[in-house]
Amino acid sequence: MLTRTEQIPQALQSMPRRIHVLPDTLANQIAAGEVVERPASVVKELVENALDAAATRIEVSIQNGGKTEIRVADDGCGMGRDDALLALDRYATSKIARPEDLKGVRTLGFRGEALPSIASVSRLTLETAEPGSVGTRVRVAGGRVLGAEDCARQTGTTVLVQSLFFNVPARAKFLKGAGVETRGIVDILSTLALANLSSAFLLQSNGRTLLELPAAVDLPTRVADLWGDEIARRFISVQLQREGVSVAGLVERPDVVSPTPRRAHLFVGGRPFRDRFLIAALDRAYRTTIVQGLRPSALIYLDVPAGAVDVNVHPSKAEVRFRDRDLVEGTVEAAVREGLAGLDSAATLDATPAMPQIRRLTTEPRGGGVPDNQLAFFVAGARRGEPPPDEDAAAGGAVVPLDEAVAADAVPEPEGPPSLWQLHDTYILAESRSGLLLIDQHSAHERILYEQLMRGFGSTPHGPDGVRPEAESGSVAAAAVGEDGEDEVDVGRSGGVASQRLLFPLTLRLSPAEYTVVEDAMVLLRRAGFEMEPFGGRTVIVHAAPQPHPYFSPERCLRDMLAELAGGSELTRAARNQHERIAMTFACKGAIKAGQRLSPREMQELFDRLFATELPYHDVHGRPTVVRLSLQELERRFGRT
Amino acid sequence: MKFTITRDNLQQGLASVAASIPTRTTLPVLSNILIEADGAGVRMSGTDLDIAVSLQVAADVEEEGALTVPAKKLQELARELPENPVRISTKADRFELACGRASFKLNGMPRDEFPTFPAVDFHDAWKLSGQVLSTLIHQTSFAVSTEESRPILNGVLWQLGDREMRMVATNGHRLAVMKQAVNFPGAGRVDLIIPPKALAQVERLFAGGEEIEVGRSENHLGFRQGGTRIFTRLIEGPYPNYEQVIPKDNDKHADADKAGLIQALRRMSVVASEQTHRVRLSFNPGLLRFSVESPDLGEAREELEIDYQGEPLDIGFNAAYLLEVLRYIPTAEVHLTFKAPERAATLEPVRPEGESGPDYLCLVMPLRLLE
Ligand SMILES: Nc1ncnc2c1ncn2[C@@H]1O[C@H](COP(=O)(O)OP(=O)(O)O)[C@@H](O)[C@H]1O
Ligand SMILES: [Mg+2]
Repeated sequence: MLTRTEQIPQALQSMPRRIHVLPDTLANQIAAGEVVERPASVVKELVENALDAAATRIEVSIQNGGKTEIRVADDGCGMGRDDALLALDRYATSKIARPEDLKGVRTLGFRGEALPSIASVSRLTLETAEPGSVGTRVRVAGGRVLGAEDCARQTGTTVLVQSLFFNVPARAKFLKGAGVETRGIVDILSTLALANLSSAFLLQSNGRTLLELPAAVDLPTRVADLWGDEIARRFISVQLQREGVSVAGLVERPDVVSPTPRRAHLFVGGRPFRDRFLIAALDRAYRTTIVQGLRPSALIYLDVPAGAVDVNVHPSKAEVRFRDRDLVEGTVEAAVREGLAGLDSAATLDATPAMPQIRRLTTEPRGGGVPDNQLAFFVAGARRGEPPPDEDAAAGGAVVPLDEAVAADAVPEPEGPPSLWQLHDTYILAESRSGLLLIDQHSAHERILYEQLMRGFGSTPHGPDGVRPEAESGSVAAAAVGEDGEDEVDVGRSGGVASQRLLFPLTLRLSPAEYTVVEDAMVLLRRAGFEMEPFGGRTVIVHAAPQPHPYFSPERCLRDMLAELAGGSELTRAARNQHERIAMTFACKGAIKAGQRLSPREMQELFDRLFATELPYHDVHGRPTVVRLSLQELERRFGRT
Repeated sequence: MKFTITRDNLQQGLASVAASIPTRTTLPVLSNILIEADGAGVRMSGTDLDIAVSLQVAADVEEEGALTVPAKKLQELARELPENPVRISTKADRFELACGRASFKLNGMPRDEFPTFPAVDFHDAWKLSGQVLSTLIHQTSFAVSTEESRPILNGVLWQLGDREMRMVATNGHRLAVMKQAVNFPGAGRVDLIIPPKALAQVERLFAGGEEIEVGRSENHLGFRQGGTRIFTRLIEGPYPNYEQVIPKDNDKHADADKAGLIQALRRMSVVASEQTHRVRLSFNPGLLRFSVESPDLGEAREELEIDYQGEPLDIGFNAAYLLEVLRYIPTAEVHLTFKAPERAATLEPVRPEGESGPDYLCLVMPLRLLE
């Protein structure tokens, strides 16, 4: 904005004055273009206002997809007459007063735009009453206040919006059929309901109830009310707090992730937003636990310190900007991965798996000093903008303290070695505190070998340093190798990848493609334990090989690995770089096979090592290593309940 | 069939055969024991199709005949019998046993369902002491491979020559070879590759000093002594050229106390990685240092005084392989040789002055070491 007249060019000053301030109604209509696109956006703004007014019950009813009528009634704090009239003015808001309030804004609205915008493009009736006083009814048409009068009303507010866009035919034309608009309203109300558990919601369309959501004690209950019990039981809970960023939520159990469209909802400070990078972080966390390309559903609730997120960057506030995006993405990925390490993430035979168990927030030791108010989204009674419930309240009810929920089950039988039983030389059965675990010996060993080799390569199997540009992988490895090929990786310290010299070196004749693989990956193959050298033509000699188990055949493993690396497979395509490709194929080809009889000791070792991995319940192909069967399910089957 | 047998003879016969009877089988008759009675006495036989064990026991035969009976049940039963004569008879496929005031009936299966034994010709049999053969078996067969992709290495190589015989076993990581002087004039050299399971039976049943006969057919080998016979399938060769991999130029020599080595290695193993059992040995003049570094667990170190004069050498091993080999070294002192950290090491017994014994050598391949 120019402040000094002398800066205005002479020519302009001499021009006749043409600029004028728009009349309010027109300005509001223009704002409405941004805020009010469809009936669903009207519902969103009105319901958000109700939530900001601390309503415990919000009833929405619509006619004809909201095009004819939208009514939102709440039992919130209501407004006095002066406020009711003021609320219809542009930039009139009770929620912020000073610029610095924007930083820590915890209400959903704050711009003071919604009511006047909606009123400017519809016939709007506002009925509102504060506690203990008479109600006010204000009627507006196309932005013009027709009048205000007393009315009888209980505390709360009802906004009736009729004939949306009656005065803006250009916009009315863009509205879709009633079915599509109704679906949009269901979606937006569902999202708001997921963010506000302690409020009850009702949605009726043409008199028919579409959603009826009582106040929920926790998120799984809300999900069950919204999408059905069966869907709710597909989720597991995740929690993590790191450097002030706290992540909590529900993510889909890998074994039930299907190719159908996902439900992905992100919230920060209780505010829904879209962010494809965070969704990508979620997908990264699932790597190796589901088949490449599947899209897991998730409900992720973020809380960040005031000032760490800017919610005022998008007209409909659909997007937000994080000050430290890497930290937020990293925390989401770590939280989900930690969830996928738990027993409840394992595939199950239960017809009715347990509801996700909400645990107390995990705080990393170096975690920041932000209060643990994430629980607000999980525990009834806690509301946005209110202080978080105290520890005791959080631990009661549906909240299970972390150490009991996880530790109790993750590693079965702390009192002594579980008795293990091998089934058809292929599966290992183990008793766990909550029932029975069936372990696929091959998949389990795959997981063990994969993580071990990735650690040997110096990359964490899942951490961000596993993300290495393709081109770099060769040189990183090469850097670790001396000129003379003495790539003596510290086998002791690097996770136990060791190489046994062979008495009778193997001579392998390879196909041209396989030979190329060996030439390209020689260094990594050596670090995996296969010490080999070219022997003229397309022949290589293998002098030393890893020995992951007593039944291991270096020749078969290496041949199978090279064939797969040369030919490509779903597995090799799923890998992000050569490290992963080698580790995955080695795990897959080198692991103990199905059909191998194991001694009790060998079973025990496999079992112990599996539960020492990062993701013990998932192999590297996106298949389970463990399938569990709960005591509850057995009791149900045997009619004990 | 009808005979009377002492309880002890019955128990002993069953115990000798039982080890050749498979615990799980798809062919039900294989879990039975074949009992035949004729003028010579009673013969009991069992087989898992790879090996067969058959032996004669003394009995008072009244009526000749044959039947197969569930081996495990019969053995359990025999174990519980009082010390009285046992009267055994058959009625069709029914096996009847009476002892003292107890009597039992077991369902059997006719003899013709039982596999026939390979025809092994004992005409030109090698004749040797059961004790000598058992020593060879004991000292080498532990080293066979358990991994199935190279079936040859699942067998023990038995080389018979005019003046010397050898037994060799390896899994490609460690190897044991034992030599023994013999006198088989004109027999020529024969290489036999034998499943260790069969040799275990030989060692078990023929460990005494009596002379045993070894005969062969195209694909089978037979051992016999008195009324006891063991037949086995042979594994088809050729066996890898093991002589070539036995180092001749190892220039670093050490003599060490076997018990000291074993104790130190066992202690190291506690901390070594479960999977690789990797331990590092550092040879210095007069002193051997052991060390283990395990990322999850911790570290271990130990020293042992040894007789070593060579240049310092650091070499890594799978401690389990070393311990296993040391267990079979028959003397209190062991002689080790090395060349370099990636080359084979050998271990041999050090026999006290004036004592002699068969040539015995074990070889262990190292694990790659870090710098
Ligand atoms: N349902 C309601 N209950 C109580 N007060 C309301 C309600 N809806 C709107 N208001 C008041 O009207 C003001 C303007 O609302 P709106 O135009 O949506 O702006 P904003 O929500 O950004 O403040 C709000 O700040 C609030 O004080
Ligand atoms: Mg608002």
